[in-house]
Amino acid sequence: MKAAAWICLLLPLASTLAITLGGTALSRRTAGWISTLTTFGAFVAAAVAFFQMLGESASERTHVTTSWTWLSAGQYHFGFSLLVDQLSVMMMLIVAGVGGLIIAYSLGYMDGEDEERRYFAYMSLFVFSMLLLVEGANLLLLLAGWGMVGLSSYLLIGFYQERHSAIAAAKKAFIMNAFGDATFALALFLLVEHTGSLDYSSVFAAAPHGGTVANLIALGLLGGAVAKSAQIPLHTWLPDAMEGPTPVSALIHAATMVTAGVYLIVRCHPLFENAYFIQDTAAALGALTLLMAGLIALVQVDIKRVIAYSTMSQIGYMFVAAGIGTYANAMFHLMTHAFFKALLFLAAGIVIHAVAGEQDIRKLAGVGKLMPRTKAFFVVGSLALVAIFPFSGFFSKDPILAAALQRGWFGITLYVIGMTGAFLTGLYAFRLFFIVFTGEPSSFVREHHHAHHGQEGPVSMMATVGVLAVLATIAGFLQWAPLWTPLTKWLDPVAPPLVEATSAQEWATSGVGITIGLAGIGLAWLLYSAKRIRVPRALPVLEHKFYWDEAYDVLWYRSSDLVSRGLYAFVERPLIGGSLVAVGRGFSLAGRDVGRLQTGLVRSYALALAGGLAVLVVIFLAVR
Amino acid sequence: MHGPDIQWYVILSALLFTTGALGVLLRRSPLIILLSVEIMLNASNLLLIAFSRLHGSEDGQVFAISVMAVAASEVVVGLGLIVAMGRRNIELDVDKLRTLRG
Repeated sequence: MKAAAWICLLLPLASTLAITLGGTALSRRTAGWISTLTTFGAFVAAAVAFFQMLGESASERTHVTTSWTWLSAGQYHFGFSLLVDQLSVMMMLIVAGVGGLIIAYSLGYMDGEDEERRYFAYMSLFVFSMLLLVEGANLLLLLAGWGMVGLSSYLLIGFYQERHSAIAAAKKAFIMNAFGDATFALALFLLVEHTGSLDYSSVFAAAPHGGTVANLIALGLLGGAVAKSAQIPLHTWLPDAMEGPTPVSALIHAATMVTAGVYLIVRCHPLFENAYFIQDTAAALGALTLLMAGLIALVQVDIKRVIAYSTMSQIGYMFVAAGIGTYANAMFHLMTHAFFKALLFLAAGIVIHAVAGEQDIRKLAGVGKLMPRTKAFFVVGSLALVAIFPFSGFFSKDPILAAALQRGWFGITLYVIGMTGAFLTGLYAFRLFFIVFTGEPSSFVREHHHAHHGQEGPVSMMATVGVLAVLATIAGFLQWAPLWTPLTKWLDPVAPPLVEATSAQEWATSGVGITIGLAGIGLAWLLYSAKRIRVPRALPVLEHKFYWDEAYDVLWYRSSDLVSRGLYAFVERPLIGGSLVAVGRGFSLAGRDVGRLQTGLVRSYALALAGGLAVLVVIFLAVR
Repeated sequence: MHGPDIQWYVILSALLFTTGALGVLLRRSPLIILLSVEIMLNASNLLLIAFSRLHGSEDGQVFAISVMAVAASEVVVGLGLIVAMGRRNIELDVDKLRTLRG
């Protein structure tokens, strides 16, 4: 078990090092295969750990293994320790499994790209960082992984480094994540001060209950989670992050990294339960995000950005789940979302790959006729996203809303928002599907579509998307509340739920959820496929994404710009610049006067010397 | 101990030093100024030797010899400068050398 955990963690690191050090000695193909196989190796190791854990009783499934003391400062010691328990093994399986599939997909997608090796080295680095994040046995290692996934995300968003927009997006993502990292680190300082440790078990045992400190700790952690998971108000980086290659969007900005915030809340749930107000805030932010992202997704015209907004929206559901304390459902939705969102992104990637990199859905219209299999994959992903039975989203999304009903008025508000979000999901998901995949191919598509050797895409791409399509279809049957709930039972020792929906609530929510989802799909069909209703003009507030970017621009950039201009005009130029000029002029004038003393007459110098000496002698004698 | 008392030596030395200092301050020829400087140096040498004899220690004599050596080198440089001035037909008058006036 412990060996498996270490192998799982270190294989991707070995791959990064091998590809980086190997340099041009490795062919591009080899680099891709090294990355793919090590990630699958990590998945196998995670699976081994999982099966070993299955053989143990529920109470002894937590294993901590320390390799060495990583940091020591005074009486504080932090080990380089891994924690393998029910929660981390689940995350290991998701990260390594989905990661392996997506890196395998990249073999085809990135083929012929310049600097493929760099890409695969970064991807392996990301997988390593993410595994460190989920396997670390103390908050310090979690923070280290947290920062490193941010770094790999930055590197991969900016992968096309000759594109200006990619560099800008990478910097934006990094800065917003750094803000979250900072609040996260502040929370850790408070924890060290008040508990003297950062190991999960001792922190949770000694953490302060209620009061300002507990609230501040939870707030700091929430800040980190919100930044990483692209929730309001730190969400604006995620849509821009779509500048990266499509598999990166699938792996980092949909399936794994952005869900790290959900993992953090579930992992640290005792700290959030000590500050219930902050936990409710998490749920409220999730609800706001899911609604807002759903609305914005309605008017986006970039295929990847629509999916990016749907990612924000789905993570909003997970935040609602984590915020009201139905942790297993949050993790379950995280898992199914990883499958179907990776599927959607990768299917979109096949389309983008086939039409020379075009992403505008108005130009892509009707491409489905030329790519029937991709169309099938996309419809599976969309149905799972809209949570239609029997696709996986159905099993994971509705229990979240059902559980919300246990929380009184707050819960009912969340429920209504969640259902509105479900309607929007149906509408935007199938708007995308109907525009891009149904109808006659547009002239752009006819002109630019290239089949790959008579296929829709390379084998590596079609096969991995196929696997994800199967997973997105069947993975939901892992848990069907209230009929069978193995996942809830599995996670119960780590994160026992705070609320549990009754059977009646589960069934009712499922019924309402499907109806509303279908209503959304139906409206999308009327609008975009049958065209019975004219599509209304997009509201400017949606096209400007609720003015978040503009607000941040005014709040941070323009205001500081204004302040610095003011300081320049009223302080720098008159006071600092002016005073320096005055000092210089003063010395110049003084120098001109003092210069008169320099007569050039040697004898006057000698007289001054003798006179000075005489004065000194007199003083010396007088003072003595 | 034979010879005059120490105060006579001091008085003679003071007279010599004043002569030299006045020569430096009042005369304009660099040659004479050099000579006057030598007189000032010798005034101090006289004091060194007188006190050395008074205290019965050789330190003052050692210093006097050092001063002579320094004075000799100084004269070499000074005379060299004066010869160079003469070769370039520069008038031997220190008041005319005022290039360094501020």
